[in-house]
Amino acid sequence: MVHAVVVPKVVTEGKKRGEIPPMPLERDEKSQFNYGVCDPLWDIDTLPLTYNDSRWIAIIIECRMEDLTKIVPKPLEVVDNRVEWWFVRHKYTMLGPYYEMGVTIPCRYKDPIAGKEYYGGYYPYMYLTGSAATDAGRVLGFPKKCAYIIFHEHGGDVRQPDHKKDFFTCLIARNGYVINSVTGMYDDAVKASDIAPIFYGKKEWGRFNLKITSNSDLSKTVWELTYLPSEWEGKHRFQLKPETIRTASPDSIEWFGQGTPFDNMCAALPPRKILGAIAFTFDLIIPPAQVLWTQTYTRTPEEVAKACYATPYRYGMRQYFPKPTGE
Amino acid sequence: MGMYHDARIPGRDFLAPGARPEVPPLPWERPARDIICHAYADPVFDNDILPLTYTNSRWLAFILEVPKSDLEKIVPPPLKVEDTKVEFWYVDHNHTMLGPYYEMGVTIACSYTDENGRKWLGGYYPYMYLSQDSAIFAGREPFGFPKKKASIRILEHGGGFDRGELPPETRPGKYFSVYMERRGYLIHTATGYYDMKPVPPPIFYGKTEWGRFNMKLTTSPDLKKTEWALTYLHSLWQGEHRFQLRANTIATASPDAIRTFYLQATPFDNMGEYLKNAKLLGLIAFNFDLIIPPAATVWTKTVTRTDDDIKKHLLYSKAYQYTLRHDFPIPRYP
Repeated sequence: MVHAVVVPKVVTEGKKRGEIPPMPLERDEKSQFNYGVCDPLWDIDTLPLTYNDSRWIAIIIECRMEDLTKIVPKPLEVVDNRVEWWFVRHKYTMLGPYYEMGVTIPCRYKDPIAGKEYYGGYYPYMYLTGSAATDAGRVLGFPKKCAYIIFHEHGGDVRQPDHKKDFFTCLIARNGYVINSVTGMYDDAVKASDIAPIFYGKKEWGRFNLKITSNSDLSKTVWELTYLPSEWEGKHRFQLKPETIRTASPDSIEWFGQGTPFDNMCAALPPRKILGAIAFTFDLIIPPAQVLWTQTYTRTPEEVAKACYATPYRYGMRQYFPKPTGE
Repeated sequence: MGMYHDARIPGRDFLAPGARPEVPPLPWERPARDIICHAYADPVFDNDILPLTYTNSRWLAFILEVPKSDLEKIVPPPLKVEDTKVEFWYVDHNHTMLGPYYEMGVTIACSYTDENGRKWLGGYYPYMYLSQDSAIFAGREPFGFPKKKASIRILEHGGGFDRGELPPETRPGKYFSVYMERRGYLIHTATGYYDMKPVPPPIFYGKTEWGRFNMKLTTSPDLKKTEWALTYLHSLWQGEHRFQLRANTIATASPDAIRTFYLQATPFDNMGEYLKNAKLLGLIAFNFDLIIPPAATVWTKTVTRTDDDIKKHLLYSKAYQYTLRHDFPIPRYP
């Protein structure tokens, strides 16, 4: 019989060195901002939220405007139908390493009172492999879910940096279904500037998110349109490393996509045309976000009951999938 | 270039012969006010999880005795610790409105006395881990369950032959093994066999006046405001206990039958540090059905921050400098 509870040296030394912050309930209440309150999913050592040497691959696609306007909520307006469909491999971040996948659509919001126009990429879909990064993003309004994601570059001398490798494979799967797979070769046969979405390299284009949160009895749901300007303390938040850019022409790309019972991304956004792929390495900082617009919906108990779609204790197609085993 | 793209959704636009549609209308086809979380176009959990029910889940609760002074360090005010017997539990969920998942958590008997003098009794969850994302965010965002994602396994086996025809509750399962790992560190494992000896239950077992507490913190996107909400789930729902235990499935293990019980603190998870003085009293396992209705909010507090407060209290790290807590094996969910 071995019954033991252990506090190993990595914890005691990590605290002494300041690499593990004090427990929130031992700190000033202004520093408590996430839960569980005694052991938050992510904590103050995540901030400022920075990224180094992340690797991005963007498949540039054209979609039908009517498809885009369906999935972009009011008060945003779609500005262009050239869409960024991207995978990222994050190695060094304040949230630790993770893979990420998402879609960015160029949009505009016009402030009805001040008349000011905001331009930004809006994220209708976003997936990550880590739960802390998922939740940290959701606080800012990023629409993150967890999924199985791979973005790998290889070929040639494996000791070379990523951008010197010639082949790539991207995959996202969730709840037993492959959602999307993109594989190919960097042939550098298209110019990045020729296929780039409208917002690439423009400092007047920030990023939009729509955060939707409900209270504990579901009697109230608050919608907040958040905005991250492209610049932070006088510099672009997103620092692309030009020497790491690689491109792939449409002839060098293989694409698989499908709608699934759990994720409607490929159902909603069938590409009309693939223009190519652009890959690059970058550093990034994500500061707190501005809130540009809010809307509140309230519900009576009867309306809450009416909104419940399922029948108690009867499980259908959306309730069965391979049991996830965690991290 | 090769391109294969099928936009049809199985269970909606692609149906087996005679099958009925099972995927609910897509969010943009419904009134916007029915959407309860983001993403707008594809929420991480949607209204087809409601009402949130569970059928025939399997619960394994290790009962620990923990000094009250240790428990008070992990229970936030205004909650008060009521008892020192703590439930340290694993759950194997196979049939739920959120799909299947593994779960692990800790429940401490607590109370809250409101401004009118009413005393609310309930189990409070300082720690909770799950293996699946929709269940994590459905628990966190409306209700305040403090869920994190971890790699969790639960196994009961041995003690007889089973050709696979038996329903889960009658399968032989004399031995058990559980473990939980996160970010490359083993947080906990326990193994043993059921000797069916008596094990003292926590104070709240079987009592209808004991509900469940959670402390939810909602922080604004600009980090200038954090709203605290103490949420409460009553034990009764529409006249019945929300938690229906199946009495014929109970199995117990005394401390002598629990071969290993190893719990450690890690750089990412402090449960082992704050439960380091725990004494193991045994294990109680059982099957159950459950419904989780909307929760009441019984106490709130708002903390605001200026720009200087954010710099002073929230920016703990140095930009672009990564250390111990920022480096772990890359997660590849699931």
